[in-house]
Amino acid sequence: MATYTGLDRPKSKLYYQFWSIVFILGLCGSMALLYFATKKVEYIWRWNRVPQYFLYEEKVTIRAEMEGKIVSIDPAGAEGKNVRVLVRGDDGEETHELPKESLLLSSGDHVYAGDNIGYYTHWKPGILVEGLWLTLEVSFLAIIFGIVLGLFTGLARISDNPALRWGAITYIELIRGSPLLVQIFLWYFVVGTVINSILAQSGFGQISPLWFGVMALAIFTGAYTAEIVRAGIQSVHRGQMEAARSLGMTYAKAMRKVILPQAFRRILPPLAGQFISLVKDSSLLGVLSIRELTKASREVVSSSLQPFEIWIVCAILYLVLTFTLSMFVQYLERKAI
Amino acid sequence: MQTPPIIDVQSIDKFFYTPERLQALNRVSCSVAPGEVVVIIGPSGSGKSTFLRCLNRLEYADSGHIIIDGVDILDPKCDINAIRAEVGMVFQSFNLFPHKTVLDNLTMAQMTVRGRSKQEAEAKGMALLEKVGIAEKFAVKPDQLSGGQQQRVAIARSLAMDPKIMLFDEPTSALDPEMVGEVLDVMKNLAREGMTMVVVTHEMGFAREVADRVLFMDKGEILEQGAPEHFFTAPTHERTKEFLGQIL
Ligand SMILES: Nc1ncnc2c1ncn2[C@@H]1O[C@H](COP(=O)(O)OP(=O)(O)O)[C@@H](O)[C@H]1O
Ligand SMILES: [Mg+2]
Repeated sequence: MATYTGLDRPKSKLYYQFWSIVFILGLCGSMALLYFATKKVEYIWRWNRVPQYFLYEEKVTIRAEMEGKIVSIDPAGAEGKNVRVLVRGDDGEETHELPKESLLLSSGDHVYAGDNIGYYTHWKPGILVEGLWLTLEVSFLAIIFGIVLGLFTGLARISDNPALRWGAITYIELIRGSPLLVQIFLWYFVVGTVINSILAQSGFGQISPLWFGVMALAIFTGAYTAEIVRAGIQSVHRGQMEAARSLGMTYAKAMRKVILPQAFRRILPPLAGQFISLVKDSSLLGVLSIRELTKASREVVSSSLQPFEIWIVCAILYLVLTFTLSMFVQYLERKAI
Repeated sequence: MQTPPIIDVQSIDKFFYTPERLQALNRVSCSVAPGEVVVIIGPSGSGKSTFLRCLNRLEYADSGHIIIDGVDILDPKCDINAIRAEVGMVFQSFNLFPHKTVLDNLTMAQMTVRGRSKQEAEAKGMALLEKVGIAEKFAVKPDQLSGGQQQRVAIARSLAMDPKIMLFDEPTSALDPEMVGEVLDVMKNLAREGMTMVVVTHEMGFAREVADRVLFMDKGEILEQGAPEHFFTAPTHERTKEFLGQIL
């Protein structure tokens, strides 16, 4: 279990039991401490207010679209829970289907356009779920682009061609040398403004901030991935390339069939770390009014006034994402043996 | 008139800049007839590996000409991958592909370079594994084999390309003593079948038994060459005597 088993005297069973209990006590202790500390400042925990930000029942009112008279109300839908309301006016007819108990009018009533006939309800994902989904989407896109960019930059970095190599070095150093937040601003407020202005002048639609955010994240991740890829390739013994080439394989074939598969397994752990960072860094995209998980949480906090619960939930949601990612990579690692 | 040589090396130089200039090969010339077995011996650092690696352009000689089967491989326009497919190389450290099974090690280049079908490549691969005596291990990964077995797989991998020439760079130097024999046996068989071979080795028994010619290299030059019986009984050069005295 431990890294250096056998170097020291074997530990007794009691040793493990004792320190396991210490660990669990420590964990419970800190949670209790937090709880009582919040009690002290008279914070009122209202966990029951949290679920609505995951899933809530939306009420949609149904309004008449024209002036007329309700000529019939017939049972409709499964199990007769719904009714179909038929409105006939000078301009024609319209029908509405809605739950029986929400119906406000009866047959023969006169309605004007915009009059409330009734309502129906349906379940909608809450703002936190939407934010989580957007974080997932942004991270996924940025990871895919980041891998492609990183792979090619990594290969360019070790190329003999000076233009490719220096290009890769310049890109990597530029990106690693400035804060991601500044890069996001640059992409959106500088590059984005220029591109969108040109698009507007040529009569095309605008590119949404989301794409500039994804681009900033992908290009940021690509630079780090490139270094990981380079180190991975260089960690494969040079005899492998020589053996492949001595059999007559081209550089590209040898890379693809011999070097990269071996490098892949070694770069998985650092790559996982990089992508976990990316998921967390996507929280910065809130500054572009992209309502990802963090921005969504901030909005929920200002409307619910329950900051403690929401920020804890927010952190847990990130943890779920990053933990899943890390499990997935470990699975890949086992499979790639 | 003899048959034209299959390897014709004309006065090649090779420098390394590490960063100080080091001449690894100094005006080396040598030609090898088809079917000939040439053994290269010499002290460590004398340029044996460098010479061998120049023959399939793993090192690019700085000047001179290297004609392999009628093609000058130092000509930038030559198709080096086509030449390399004809020139097998066996390394001291085996260099098997660890992520592939033994059989896949043998089929990969057959399919990607020779364009053979999977069945064809596997049939050829199995036949060669049979020949080097480890057919039963076709499905395992190389790291589960002993050094001697790995080296035999490496030889089979090169042979799968149907090469005209085989280069061996100290193929038994990384092996435990009890495994040297099994690899040398495979090489002896190959020599008997008429393969053109250039072998860098310290196995003097092998040189005596199999070599048609022995080259002695020192400080980047071929100092002396001749038939093994002449070479081991009556070396002319002082350095050769000294070297043979040390290792025999
Ligand atoms: N890739 C290289 N870079 C720099 N120097 C090298 C390289 N390969 C070989 N040399 C040098 O060239 C000389 C000859 O090396 P080598 O051909 O490996 O000798 P041998 O195989 O006879 O032991 C040695 O001095 C060695 O240090
Ligand atoms: Mg050597």
